[in-house]
Amino acid sequence: MNNQNQILGVFDDPDVVTDAVKELVKHDVKIKDVFSPFPLEHVWDLLKLKTRMPYATFIYGALGTASVFAFLYWTSVTDYPLTFGGKPHNSLSFVVLMFVLTILSGVVFTLATLLIREKMWPGKNNPLPDHRSMDDKFVIVIEQGRDMDDNDMNKIDELLKQNGAVEVNRSNV
Amino acid sequence: MDSKLKVSKSFISIMFVLIAIGIITIAAGFIAGDGTRTWANLLLNNFMFLSIVLGGLFWMALQAITQSGWSAGFVRIPQALAVNLMIAFILWIPLFFAIPHLFHWAEPEAVHDAVLVHKSPYLNIPFVIIRTVVFFALWLFLACRIRKLSLKEDEIGGFDSFIKIEFLSKVFIFVLGISIVFVGIDWVMSLEPHWFSTLFSVKIFVSAFYHGAVIITGTVIILNKLGYFPFLTKAHLHNFSKYIFMLSIMWGYMWFIQYLLIWYGNIPEETVYYHIRREGGFQGLFLAEIFINWAFPFLFLMWNRIAKNANALLFTVVVLIVGQYIEIFNEVMPGTIHHVAFGFIEIGTFIGYAGLFALIFAISLSKRPLVAKNHPYLIECLKDEDIEEEY
Repeated sequence: MNNQNQILGVFDDPDVVTDAVKELVKHDVKIKDVFSPFPLEHVWDLLKLKTRMPYATFIYGALGTASVFAFLYWTSVTDYPLTFGGKPHNSLSFVVLMFVLTILSGVVFTLATLLIREKMWPGKNNPLPDHRSMDDKFVIVIEQGRDMDDNDMNKIDELLKQNGAVEVNRSNV
Repeated sequence: MDSKLKVSKSFISIMFVLIAIGIITIAAGFIAGDGTRTWANLLLNNFMFLSIVLGGLFWMALQAITQSGWSAGFVRIPQALAVNLMIAFILWIPLFFAIPHLFHWAEPEAVHDAVLVHKSPYLNIPFVIIRTVVFFALWLFLACRIRKLSLKEDEIGGFDSFIKIEFLSKVFIFVLGISIVFVGIDWVMSLEPHWFSTLFSVKIFVSAFYHGAVIITGTVIILNKLGYFPFLTKAHLHNFSKYIFMLSIMWGYMWFIQYLLIWYGNIPEETVYYHIRREGGFQGLFLAEIFINWAFPFLFLMWNRIAKNANALLFTVVVLIVGQYIEIFNEVMPGTIHHVAFGFIEIGTFIGYAGLFALIFAISLSKRPLVAKNHPYLIECLKDEDIEEEY
């Protein structure tokens, strides 16, 4: 893996990197990924990234609500009804447990789904193209396609520099 | 940018017809001898009117103290509510004469009730009226001052008005946070004077903010459909729906903690409030209140595409206006007329108030330019890109 087939545009301002991504998308440059210390909401939209994760979370939450209600109904109405102060057995006070366990079920199963789908497990080595993207830099990663020669790559370098990149590096990670 | 809202002649005449319907119904209610019911309806609609106005003004103050950029183009809409606040005060004056008809603590036999005698230093007619007038005066002073300063900003520009508005908004939030507690206690909670809840006024406050934000959203969408606010994008709509979504959760939380504490406390003095609502004929409305105001917007606006759709938001706004009516109905009616009564008096009074609110709001909006053109954050508001997303 000697040939350095990735361009890393390093930026130090979130607004500049958003504008640069916009400019690259306008020039039909295929961006592989953008690394940033915190989420940039417009970049997400510009890269046209898609996820089904919210639907999964909704389903986990809904299943959590339904199963907790079923359990509470079974314990306090069907199996062992106790009357306190004349209050009805099937009551709105279930809502507290339903609320808490909906959040628990949503969070735990979403996290599990994320780890499985992204193939992340403890001790896995996750290579970062530029370690400064965990600190204060924003990195745009562009991969060399099969139909791109060195000339095209140099043009992308120029484009990144014009749009405010503080450094343009090559990498093979 | 300098365009003013043009109120069409037909709109004004329709609104006058609605107001006439309201006046006729109220008069008919009194003539037919249904005094208490008509007064209760006046209180209900007055309180709904005031809630929306105060909630909208609170929304405006919140934008000012957080220096929000996205809403800079829409600040004129809640500012116009200052005129509605004046009308709310005028509408409130007849209620001062209705206190003995509506409130159990003001009735002559209250002097034989030890609890009410104990509460009488606070709950007596002159003190209630003084408090209400003082609060209205404070709100009106601050709201009109902010409105004037914003117009001055249009003429002169610079940061002077912006800084003053921010300061006055802080004062307004402070004043409102304290005064709405007393208004809620005096005019709604004391309808059932033996019952009390320290959470009640918080719920009144959140409900006002919630439905104020709803009315502002609805106004923006309707005006956009009429050709104003050409810069309105999905990003703005998403921010408006985030407000509704967040406040629906907040409202549901406030509704539920009050219920939950009374449920587990199980003290007869407190449970009587929910007993009449759950067993005394209000069951359907009791459930409708929580489902319409919390469950519906929570589940409906959760979907990203719905949250950015103008028509879906407009539908939510209409449903939530009904939800607010049901909420205040549940607060006012069990303590005044003790049973569910929904007939021509209720519908007619609501129509009259809705017509008056819309007419005053539209005229007040038409007096000033719709966009504060020298607002320092206006550029940020106009820049919000319209990002089409595929799902």
